[in-house]
Amino acid sequence: MLRVDHIWAKRGAAVALRNVSLSLSAGKTLAVVGESGAGKSTLIASILGLLRPSAGAITWDHQPVSSCRPALVMQEPRSAFNPVWPLMRAVREPVLGQEQSVTNERIARLCRGLELPMELLERRPREVSVGQVQRVGILRALIAAPPLILFDEPLSALDAVTQKHTARLIADMQQEEGFAALIVTHDLGYALAFADSIAVLKDGQIESISDPGSFVTNPGSSYCQALRDAAVALGSIEVAA
Amino acid sequence: MTLSAIGLSAMRSGRIILHPTSVEIEPGARIGLVGASGSGKSTLGHALIDALKAQGLQVAHVPQSPDEALDPLRSLAFHWHEAAQARGLADGAAHQRAIFSALKIDGGDLRKRPWGWSRGMQQRFVIAMALMGTPDLIVLDEPTSALDPVIAAATMNLLDRHLERTNTAMVLITHDLGLAARRVSHLMVMAAGRLVEEAETGKILNNPQTSEAKRLAAHRNWMEVPC
Amino acid sequence: MMLTVVGFLVRAMVVLTGTALLTFALLWNAPGDPAQAIAIARFNAVPTQDVIDQVRAEAGLNASFWAAFLNWIGPLLLFDFGNSSVTGRPVGPDLWVAATYSFPLAITALAIGLAISLPLAILATRRPGGFMDRFAVAIASLGTAIPAFWLGLLLILLFAVQLAWLPAMGARTPTHAVLPALTLGLGIAASLTRIIRSGILEAWEQPFLAAFRHRGVSDRAIGRDHIGPHAAVPVVTVFGLELAFLLEGVVVVEVIFGRPGLGSFLTSAILARDFPHVQAVVLLTALVFVVVNLIIDVVYRVLDPRIGEPDA
Repeated sequence: MLRVDHIWAKRGAAVALRNVSLSLSAGKTLAVVGESGAGKSTLIASILGLLRPSAGAITWDHQPVSSCRPALVMQEPRSAFNPVWPLMRAVREPVLGQEQSVTNERIARLCRGLELPMELLERRPREVSVGQVQRVGILRALIAAPPLILFDEPLSALDAVTQKHTARLIADMQQEEGFAALIVTHDLGYALAFADSIAVLKDGQIESISDPGSFVTNPGSSYCQALRDAAVALGSIEVAA
Repeated sequence: MTLSAIGLSAMRSGRIILHPTSVEIEPGARIGLVGASGSGKSTLGHALIDALKAQGLQVAHVPQSPDEALDPLRSLAFHWHEAAQARGLADGAAHQRAIFSALKIDGGDLRKRPWGWSRGMQQRFVIAMALMGTPDLIVLDEPTSALDPVIAAATMNLLDRHLERTNTAMVLITHDLGLAARRVSHLMVMAAGRLVEEAETGKILNNPQTSEAKRLAAHRNWMEVPC
Repeated sequence: MMLTVVGFLVRAMVVLTGTALLTFALLWNAPGDPAQAIAIARFNAVPTQDVIDQVRAEAGLNASFWAAFLNWIGPLLLFDFGNSSVTGRPVGPDLWVAATYSFPLAITALAIGLAISLPLAILATRRPGGFMDRFAVAIASLGTAIPAFWLGLLLILLFAVQLAWLPAMGARTPTHAVLPALTLGLGIAASLTRIIRSGILEAWEQPFLAAFRHRGVSDRAIGRDHIGPHAAVPVVTVFGLELAFLLEGVVVVEVIFGRPGLGSFLTSAILARDFPHVQAVVLLTALVFVVVNLIIDVVYRVLDPRIGEPDA
C-alpha cells in the first residue's frame, strides 16, 4: 500500500505541495486530477524519489517507495524512448539481468494483452503511431511486474477514440497483473470512468478525495463543481437525458 | 450570404492528402470537422481558409498551439497592433479591454513576448485576436487542447456567446466528437483525406452511417452521468 | 546586469592574458637566435659577436622567461607596448599608424560585403530554387572558392594593367584603397550571401507564418517584422566568425597591394624577430575579437531575449 503522509515539497523557491496526504491500496486505482501548476508533476517526482519533500513521508508497505521499484508511464510517448533504438531494446532494459526465455514469454503475453503485434517491437519509435508507442510504454512499465505504476497524463497525447481504447487496455492489464495505479490526469471523465478514488489537487493542496459515484452526485467544493461542469461542457462526460 | 468553397484538395510529396471536397457554410452556422489524426481535417481547414480568403472574405484562424500563431521575438502588443492594422481597425482598444477581461487575460503584461505568458494565456490571446473585427468565419483547430478544462469550458462558452451575438460562422476542427457535439449543430466526418459523412449533430450521434462516424460516436465520452 | 558586465570583463582579461602568454611563449621558444636577427635588421650588416651580445642585453633576452614576460606585460597594463627591438622606437605610435591604414580598409570591405550580399540574398530568397537563387548560390560558391591573393591579382590585371583605371600599389590617395577593399569585400560578400540566404530560408520555416498570413498581414510586413529578426539571429552569430577571416584577409591583401598597415607591420616584424611588434599586433587582434564578440553578445540579446534568460 502506498502512503503519502503529510508531505510538503518545493519547486525552486515556490511551495508546490502543501500538506498532501494520499493512500492507494494494492491493485487499486487512484486518479489525481488537477490543472497545470497544481503540483501534479511534483507529486510524481516526490513519489519516484526524484525530489525530496521538505517534510512528510512517502512509503510503500512501510518501506521507502524505491524498495518496490515503481514504474512510470510518461505523457509524451515518443520522448520516453531513445529514438535510435528498436522499441524491443527499450522494453528489455528494466529486466536485463533476467533469463531470456522467461522474458520473451512475458513480452509475448503482455503484447497480446495490449493488442501489440510482436513485430512492432523491432521498429523504432518514429516508425509506429503515437497510440502504439504509448502502449509500448505501458508494456515497458509492466515488464518487471512492479506493484505500483505511476501514469503521468498517459492519454493526453492521444486522440479521443484511442484514449478510450488505451484506458480500457490499462484497466484490463491491471485486472491481470494486479498493480496499483496512480494516474495523474486533467481529464475528470477518465478519472470518473476508471478510478476507484479521485483526489482533486489545487494549488498544491488536496481539495477533496472521494469515490467516483459520490463525486458525480455531490462534488463538494465549488472548484470540484466547476471541474464537473467543465467536463460536461467539453463533452468528456455526458448528462443522461 | 452562404460561404462556399468547391473542389478543395491538397497533395503532399506526390500523395493526395485531401480528395476534392466542397464545403458550404450558412451565415452563423456551427460546423464540426471531426476525424482521427491524419484524416485530413486540418488540411481541409487550411484549404477552406485559403479558398474563402481568395474570395475576399475575412476568415479568422486559431491554430492548435500558440506556437503556430505567435512570433516568439515580438511582443504581444506588437501582435495586437499588427492584427488590428491588417483588419483595417484603428487599434481595437475598446474590443481589447472587453475581450481580455472576458477571457481573464486582462492581468497579462502586453509588453512581454509570448513566452512570458503561460501557454493557456497565450492560447486565449490568440482567440482574442481572432475575435477582433467582424470575420465572416472563424476556424478553430483543437482550440482547447492547450487549456485546462475549467478555462477551456469558460473560453468555449464565451466564444459561443460572441459568435451568436455577431452571427459569425464557426468551423471547429477536433478529434473529439464529444466536444464537437456540445458546440456545433452540424458535423462533417473525415477519414483518410475524404469527407465520408455529413449531417446534423444529433443524427450522427444517434444514427451514424459510416464506420468512422460509428467509431467516433461510440467513443465520444467517458461515461454518462445522471443529472 | 552588473554581474554580466563584471563577468564579461573577467572573461576578457582571461582571454587577453592567455593570448599574451601564449604568443610570448611561442616567440621565446622559436628556433634561431633572436639577438642575431635583431642585430642584422638594426645594422644591416653581418654583426660581430660583441654586437650580438650587446643587443641581447639591451632587448632583455638574457633574463629568464618569466622575468622577461613580466617585464613586458607590466607596462602593457598602462597601454605601453614597449620599444621596438630593431628601431628602438616606442611600438604604440607605429602600431597606431599601421592600424589607421588597416581598420578603414577592413570596415570598407565589410560595408562592400554587406552592400552586395544583403540585397543579393533577399532577391535570391524571393523564389527559392529560382533563377536568382541559383545565380546567387553559384556566385557565392565561386567567391568562397577563390582565394584573396588570386582575386587581388586578377583585379590588378584587369583594372590597373589592362584598363589602367585604378592604381595597384601603395596607399597615397583614397583611390589606392579601391582595389584592396574590393578584393576583400567580394570575398566577404560571397560568404555573407550564403549565410544570410540560409538564415532567411530557415526563418521562413517558422511554424507561425501561416497564421500571420491568415490574419491578413502582408508578405511584405511579415518579411520586415518577422523574417528579418529571425534571420538576423544566425547571421549575427556567424558574423563574429567572419571577422577572423577578415583580419587574415587584410594581412594578405595589404601584402599583395603593397599597402602599409598591420599586414606589412606584422610581416616585417616577424622577419626581423621584432618581438614587441609581433606581440602588439597579436594582442590588438585579440582585443578586436573580444570587443566584437561583446557587441555580438549584446546584439544577440536584443534580437532574441530568450537567450540568456534563466527560464524561457
